[in-house]
Order: sequence, then C-alpha cells, then structure tokens
Amino acid sequence: MKISVNWLKEYIPVTHTVEEMANKISLTGIESSPVHNAEGLDKLVVGHITSISQHPDSDHLNITTVDVGEDDDIQIVCGAPNVANDQYVIVALHGAHLPEGKRIKKGKIRGQESNGMICGLDEIGVPTKYVPEAYHKGIYVFPEVVTPGTDALVALGLSDDMVDMDITPNRADTLGMRGAAWEIGATYDEKPKYTAPVIDEAKIVDSNDLAVDIENKELVPDFLVRTLKNVTVGESPLWMQRRLWNQNIQPVNNVIDAANYVMIEFGQPIQAYDLDKLQEKRITVRNAKSGEKFSTELNNQDDDENTNTILNKNDLVVAAGEQILGLAGVAGGISARVTNETKNVVLESAVYDGAAVRKAAQRHDLRGDASNRFEKGVDNGAVSDALVRATQLVDENAHASEISDELVGVGTEAKPTVIKSKISHINHLMGLDLTAEKIMSIFDRLGFTAELDNDDVTVTIPTRRWDMSIEADLVEEVIRIYGYENLKGTLPTGMETAGGYSPKREFSNKLRNILLGQGMNEVINFSLMNKKESEDFNVIDTNYTKLLHPMTEDHEYLRTSLIPGLVNNVAYNQARNNNDISIFEQARIFDRPDGVDRPNEIEYIAGAISGNIALDSWNTQSKQVDFYDVKGIVEELLSFTNIDANFEYRATNKISNLHPGQTAEIIADGQSIGFIGKLHPDYQKEHSIDETFVFELNVDTLFGMEKRNVQAKTAPKYPSISRDLAILVNKDIESGAIVKDIFDNGGKYLIDVNIFDVYQGVNIKANHKSLGYHLVFQNPEDTLTDDTVEKAFDVVKDSLVQKFNVEIR
Amino acid sequence: MSLNDKLKDLRTSGIDDAKRAERIQELNDLRVNLLGKKGPITKALRGMKDVPVDERPEMGTLANNVKKDIQAAIEEKMEELNRKIVAKKLEEETIDVTLPAQPKKYGTRHILNQTIEDIEEFFIGLGYRVDAGHEVEEDHYNFERLNIPQNHPARDMQDTFYLTDQLLMRTQTSAQEGRDMESHDFSKGPLKVISPGVVYRRDDDDATHSHQFHQIEGLVVDKNVSMADLKGTLEALCRHVFGAEREIRFRPSYFPFTEPSVEVDVSCFNCGGKGCRICKYTGWIEVLGAGLSHPNVLEMSGIDSTVYSGIAFGLGPERFAMLKYGVNDIRDFYSNDVRFLEQFKGVN
Ligand SMILES: [Zn+2]
Repeated sequence: MKISVNWLKEYIPVTHTVEEMANKISLTGIESSPVHNAEGLDKLVVGHITSISQHPDSDHLNITTVDVGEDDDIQIVCGAPNVANDQYVIVALHGAHLPEGKRIKKGKIRGQESNGMICGLDEIGVPTKYVPEAYHKGIYVFPEVVTPGTDALVALGLSDDMVDMDITPNRADTLGMRGAAWEIGATYDEKPKYTAPVIDEAKIVDSNDLAVDIENKELVPDFLVRTLKNVTVGESPLWMQRRLWNQNIQPVNNVIDAANYVMIEFGQPIQAYDLDKLQEKRITVRNAKSGEKFSTELNNQDDDENTNTILNKNDLVVAAGEQILGLAGVAGGISARVTNETKNVVLESAVYDGAAVRKAAQRHDLRGDASNRFEKGVDNGAVSDALVRATQLVDENAHASEISDELVGVGTEAKPTVIKSKISHINHLMGLDLTAEKIMSIFDRLGFTAELDNDDVTVTIPTRRWDMSIEADLVEEVIRIYGYENLKGTLPTGMETAGGYSPKREFSNKLRNILLGQGMNEVINFSLMNKKESEDFNVIDTNYTKLLHPMTEDHEYLRTSLIPGLVNNVAYNQARNNNDISIFEQARIFDRPDGVDRPNEIEYIAGAISGNIALDSWNTQSKQVDFYDVKGIVEELLSFTNIDANFEYRATNKISNLHPGQTAEIIADGQSIGFIGKLHPDYQKEHSIDETFVFELNVDTLFGMEKRNVQAKTAPKYPSISRDLAILVNKDIESGAIVKDIFDNGGKYLIDVNIFDVYQGVNIKANHKSLGYHLVFQNPEDTLTDDTVEKAFDVVKDSLVQKFNVEIR
Repeated sequence: MSLNDKLKDLRTSGIDDAKRAERIQELNDLRVNLLGKKGPITKALRGMKDVPVDERPEMGTLANNVKKDIQAAIEEKMEELNRKIVAKKLEEETIDVTLPAQPKKYGTRHILNQTIEDIEEFFIGLGYRVDAGHEVEEDHYNFERLNIPQNHPARDMQDTFYLTDQLLMRTQTSAQEGRDMESHDFSKGPLKVISPGVVYRRDDDDATHSHQFHQIEGLVVDKNVSMADLKGTLEALCRHVFGAEREIRFRPSYFPFTEPSVEVDVSCFNCGGKGCRICKYTGWIEVLGAGLSHPNVLEMSGIDSTVYSGIAFGLGPERFAMLKYGVNDIRDFYSNDVRFLEQFKGVN
C-alpha cells in the first residue's frame, strides 16, 4: 500500500524524505520504495471561471475568462461540454508541462486568444478509471471553493510524496493507514496519535427495521451493521476524493467513498447497501446455491454491461432472502448499490474467513482491495470502530437524520494475544546480550504492554498485530527494531561435525570427472519432457510419470532417460553450426514401478558425441566419431568405477531409435548397467543431426556393485614373452568370444591379449575375416621359457580351431 | 734450413691448415698427415742427428710443442665445426611455434554445477553434510512440515506441479528439512546439512523464470545457534562467493518456516556499494532468504524448540551465477550451447 506522507502526518511527525523513510522501513520491517508523484508537471493552478461566452466561430467552443490568482483574469478557449461559469477548475498556464511531454502554449483558437488550457484529471495524469464518472467526458470541476492560483497538484493531492510498502502476507496490519503509522512510528520511535471516531449521539435510535442473521459463524466471526436514514447522496469533499484516487480508488459518492476511505484508514473493508433496495429487511450470510447468479461491477470495469458471475455452493454470499447483495468479502453486488437516489443506507463491517475469501476471489477472478485484506486477515478488534468511523463520515458528508445502534449479526470477542518469554531466551536466540530495559523499551515502542518479572517477561499484544502469536515473533520484533545492522556475525560453535558428500555423490563426482577428462562438456537438461521424448527412449521399460496439470505439452512427463535431452542439445548446437559435440549429463531419471504413484529417482550418467573427434588441421586429418571412440570412453569410465566385475558388450537390436547393428548392451557380471550405441539414421534425420553416438549408464547400480580390493603388487621383475596369432574365421564370430577363449586356454601366465588387425575383403575367403592378436605371457615369479609359452600357445590355437573352426595363418 | 726453422714452419703451416679446414674429414686427414708416424714432424726429427748434442733436448721440447700446438689447433677447429653442424641441425629443425596445437581438451563443468560445488565445498569445510533429497516429494514434506498448511496464502507464491493429490515436484529444497531433522541423532552432535538440487515451479519460461531451477538449502539445528550465527555464516559465504570485501545486511521478511525471517543483501560487487545498474543504484543486491527455524517446524520433527534452535537459509545458484557472471537470460543455462558452456572453463 502506498502511504501518503501528508496523510501520515496526521498520526506521527514526519521529518524525513521519502527516500530515507523507504530505506529505513525496508531495513526495519517492510520492503518499501519512495514514490514521487506528478514529477515533471508544472504551472498547473486552480482557476475560477469568471465569465463564459460562446466562441463566435464554433458551436462547441466557449471563451472563458479565468481568475488564476493573478492581477488580471486570463482568457482561455475551452471545448469541454461541461464547462460553466463560476466553476473552480484546473488551469494549465502558458508554459505548463503535462504528462508525456505535453506542453501548453498560449495561442489563438479559431481566431480567439487562449492563454492556457482548462484540464480534466486524466489530462494531468490520473488514470481515467480513477476519475469520478461525472468528469470522464470533460474538465474536472472542484467540488468546493479553492483559492485561485493555488497549485492545482497540491489541491488535488497529486504531488503527495508517498512510501510504497510492499508487504509480506504476514504484515497485513499495515494495509491500513493506522497500522502503517504504527509500523513507521515504531521505526522512528514515534507513537501515533489517533482521534477516536464518534457518532452524533443525538441521532442514534434503537432501530428494528433490519434484522441480521448469520448462519455460518465459523466463516464469519464478526458481522456488524448500522443503518442511516434520510441521507443526501452526493459528491464527497475534495480531501476525501483525493485520498481515494491516490489509492487507485475511483470516488463514486459520499457513501461508497466513506466506506472505501475507512478501508484505507483502518484496513477494514466496509460494504454499503441501499436499505430500500433490500427485498427482505433481513440480511444473512449463507452459502450460495449452485448456479445462483450474481452481478458486480468489480469484474467488468472495462465493459459497459454488467456480467453475471455464476456462483457455486462453496461461495459465501451476503443476501437478503433470494437477493444476493454481495460475494462475502470479495465484491459488492449491484442489486442494492448506493446511488444518488439512495435515501437510507446500510453499512456493513465484517470479518470473513481468509481462506474462503481467497478461494472465492480466485475462483471467480475477482481479487480486489477487500479480498486482499480479508485473505491476509484484519484486526477483529477494530471492526466496530471502523463501522463507527464509516457511519461518522457518511453522516458528516451526507447528513443522516437518524442512525441505528450497532446491529450485531455475530460478534467475536477480540482478545489480545499474551506471549510469555524470557529476556535471556530472546537474547539467546538473537545472539545478543541486550538489557531487559532495552528490550522493554522496544516493546513499548511497538505499543505492546510488557511486564517484567526478573527474567520472565509477559507481553500483551494489541489485536492490531494479529500476526504475533509466539515467542519467535517477539524475537523478530526486538531484533528488527534494535536493528539487524547492529548484529555482529558469529559462526555456530558446538560439537565438531565431519562434513562431506555422501559416498554415492563422491562416486558420481568421480564419474563426471572422468568424462570431463575425456573432453566432454557437462550439460543440464530439464527433467520434464514431452510425451514423444519420453517414449523415444524408455529403455528401462518403466511406467511413465505424468504431471496432473502441466503448463505446456513440452514439459509434461518425467524423464526415463537422459538421451532425449542430450539429443536436443546436439540438435540445438548443430543448428548453430557447433557441429562437433561431445557432451554428458549426470542426473536422475524417474522409474515408476507398477502399481505405485511415486517413481524411484535413479542417478544416471549419459553422453552423446557427434561430428568429428579430430579436426582437419595443418598436420592432422579429421576423424569422425565412431562406436569404438565412445566405447573407449565408456571403458575408461567403467575402469574408474573400480568395480570387481567383467564388463561385457552384448550386441543388441532391441533398443528403439538406436542403430540395430551398432549398439551394445553393457553387462557387468550378468547385470545390465547401460548401453552404448549409434542413433538410428531415421531418428537422426528426424532431429536434423549428424551421426551421433550415445551411451547411458545406471550410476546407482554401478555404485552398488562390489569394488575391487586393491592390494599392492610390486611391478614385475621378469621379462614378458609375446606371440602373435593370425587367424581366419567366419565373419559373424565376435572378437569378444575369441578373446575370451584365448584367455580361457592361455594358462596362468597369459596376461594380455590385444587385437592388432581386423581385415575383411580382397584376398580373404568369402564370409570370413582375418584377425590378428598379440598375446603377452609373463611369470611374475620367474623367467618364462619359450617352451612354456609355446605349450600354452598351442593350447590356445587348438581350442580356437576346435571351437570356432579357425584357420591359423 | 735448420731443424729449428723447419719445425717452426711446420707449426705455422699446420695451424694454418687446421684453421682453413671446412670439414671434419679434412681435420682428421690433417692429424694423420702432420702428426702421424709418416708425417713431416716425425720425418724432421730424423734430422736430429745433425743437431749438436747439447741442443737436442731443446729441439725435442720444441718438436713436442709443435705437435701439441697443431693438435690444439685441430681440436679447436674440430669443436668449431661440430658446433656449426649442431647449429645447422638445430636451425633445420626449427618449427613455427605459432602454428595451432593438437587439441587436448578437458571438458567444462556446467556453470551451475560449478557454482553449486563451490558453495558445497565451502560448507563442507564448515562441517556440513551434503544431502540431495528427493525431487518428487510428498506434499507433507514440501509444505505441511514447513508450516505451510493447505490454504496457507504462501502456497500462492509457489504454484506447484502435482503428480497426485499428495505427490509433487518439490518446489523448494527446504522440503528436505523435515527429513533431515527427523532422522538426525542429536546425541552425535548438531545437525549441519545443505541440500542442493533441482526444484520445480509452475512458471512460464522466460528470461528470468524457469519451470526448473536449482536451490541450495542450508540448515543447522543445535542447542545454541542464533541469528548472529546465521549472519556470520552468510557473511562468510557471501565473501567466499562474491569477494572478501563484501558486507551483508539483513532485512525483515516472511517465510512460513522461519521466524524471524530475513532477506539477505550483499554489497554490490560491481560498484562496491556506490550504486550501479546491477544493484539498481542501491549498492545492495538481494541474494538469499534465511531465518531461525520456526518452532512449529522443529516441533513437527520431534525437536524441543525450547531447547534447540535452528538457522535455515536458501539460495539460488542460477541467481548467484547470473549476478556473478552477468548472465541475463536464465534460459541460457538450459539450452546448453557449447559456446556458452565453454566460456566458464575453470572459473571455479
Ligand atoms: Zn552496484
């Protein structure tokens, strides 16, 4: 809420600039910013029209003479339809600056001298929707005599400096000027002074022309009304109007304005009804019937016609029988609206359940000043006072002949909150050592009553601070008024703790480092993806997890693989000519077992490499990534897992969107831990990307597997002996099987088998390939003899011939 | 010509020949020819018999000196020629060092992870455990246990992706607080934990909003932690991340799970507090929210709030990285353009 300094001065002395105040209030309580209004506007004065005549050459222009407080009246040509003699109006003098850089200069209008402009409020910066209806078409006319020559911006309150307080939901106590004055006063150690509202005793009658009957006391703890008879509805005095439009409220008439004014002053929303328009002289608050209709002006400010809101049974309405007067706490209806013809008025001051109001306002998209206050809470100790104040203002401005007593539909006693604490505990929580006197003086500054008994303190909180309920609230009040800037930082003491990552996180960090070391860049992708993406790579064959209310189709399903995200990254980059891409991501996928709602969150690591891994350069030739490059990375990654298992690459054509002839499932001791493969050409085409190889590994599974127990061995002292083996074998035999067989038969001294040649084609028997292996033998204990090696080599060869029908070359 | 003169002539011509030599081979030949058994010095010495006996030792010495001098001249020239050969070879081997290298690339860690890990390591150094928590969380932990019951207005601030009535994508890493508190054994010392991770909000993605982003929640619960400890901890953090000269300030705020609650501003690292575009001319930049654990939050985890207190804070790595490196669009973190990613090589 924007706090006008001029208004605030009614309660507390103000000596600081709004900049200083906003800064101080921000540091002490509520985030605030300074507001200067009507900046850049000048030479706007109040003028009194002393004569008016028709322009000789126009049927819609008038020639006026206007007293602008100078020696001579000035002549102004005015085209407004509502201009008339003896009006007090806004005059922009020669040289005046108006909003949006508009400048007023003297000149001639159809041959007649015009030395300024008579303005409407919208022309000097008041948005049209806050300008009183009567002045929407034409100039603004002051409702009272104002000395000519007076600065019009001052007279209209438009140059008021303000502090805009942007409250957190717990500080709705400052959504009224009085509460705001308490807060700002506490900041500056000034207690606000208020004049208690009063009603002319002589007019009070014991009225029985209206019954009030509240069904739902749970949701309506307070409901008070008063009636006023024989009022004269008309325009409100200027002082009230200007405070309203400064609060972005349109002045309407002296009854509705008084109600709105009290809402700003007390923070308590007030409703006004035309008593004579009530179909029954009995007001109730009840749940709406499903399908009941309700018309308000709140939801159609830009429309000419009122639109109907269809209510449902959760809506709470204020009603007179079947007639709906308003959506409780949200919006007044039009059926009993106070108009210029209204004679008898009902004023309502009530408290409605915040959650109910919030939901209703949301449901019908009718959030406004009243619902904003009810949903955050109002001071139930001020409901009656606010009603008295509204009654007083209506009476003062619209002159009632009689005023009813307060009619209580329901009333809940407003009890101050009492909080017990200890000075020592408050200090303990703050990390300060303030004296009891200091703390007591802070409570006093806030208007809290506190009693001290040694270390014990009992604080009585006025109802206007309904946000306060526990000791921690007291701590906050003390420390913020004392000043956070006076708090010296310390570090927690106490028992030493060993910090650190979880073992699993250490493990995944290690894996990420390996991939970084392989030159792969790390990416982060969204967990939520579209339906197609989630179907593209459901390799783990799990149930999808879907959001109840997604924002867009693009982010609707929880990912079951990291690959689609990586593919998007490759596509994004290649579309921007970043053609050679090597990326990885370590993140969670969501695996939802049958019959449960909650997916398991499983850590995965995945990579994608596309384009060249070596570039054409002055001394190298480019090389496109192939399966074996990626396999090399994966193998190195797996070797660093330190897992005590054999990793096996099993060819598979079962993973959709991967190349059926260039994909392997990775198996560790019978357990599948991931895959590696080339994207299917169709899939690559669909995503407009180059040949791309991907891999994905289940980090949780790898983490859970048995690790090697490393016991140091001295480096071998004895020389190794090697043998080369060239074989011819059917092309469908996998090298992996041959290597395994060599190891199985090579004896205990065979320590390594490398393949150095794979050849297929010219000079090779059809459907066959030539493979060359390099076998290394070593005895760590002794020098090997050729004889021993030769024997082992023979066993290897014999086995290969037998099992794979190889030809030894 | 006397033997004396002969020897001296041989010395002069030998040294001259050595000096004139251009190849190693010439020097070798010279050595053999001059100093060898069939060489002129040896031959000349055969004329010793014509020298009077008393002069012979002198002649012998002269002959030896001549040999030495020629030998020395040959060796000197030999070294010179060798130096030339090496120099020539070096010159021939000279390369253009400005030609490009063979790339040996180390990958770049994502800037968000660099930011997160920098902060994690800072807190690990202070004895904090790192506990990542769940991305799919129960409404109970994400809201109820944080003192945000159904219908609480604070639920407006965070529109939530629900999976079912009771399951949601966590909207804040504070969701881990309840789990950490209820599982901690306080007889083993204070609870000191940070929870980094991904959170989700029902937001449209634009330059400043992302439906998925990161948070780091920090929590300390012990018998003796205070607002002053909170301030000191965050002061140290902000100095670690934003520079040793940084100051912080607390402003009162509101979070349902802390009381008192504060917003934390750090003095502008760009202008040092004088005011600039980055700090919107205030000299201060809002970087995180914090507070003392609300007693309800402690009690709901079975912790006696009259004995224990907690400090809690939550920060956004995206915001930290955006501020620190001048990233203007949060979407840049998630589009993963390698040119964007690689500029952060080695910053943390
Ligand atoms: Zn700055």
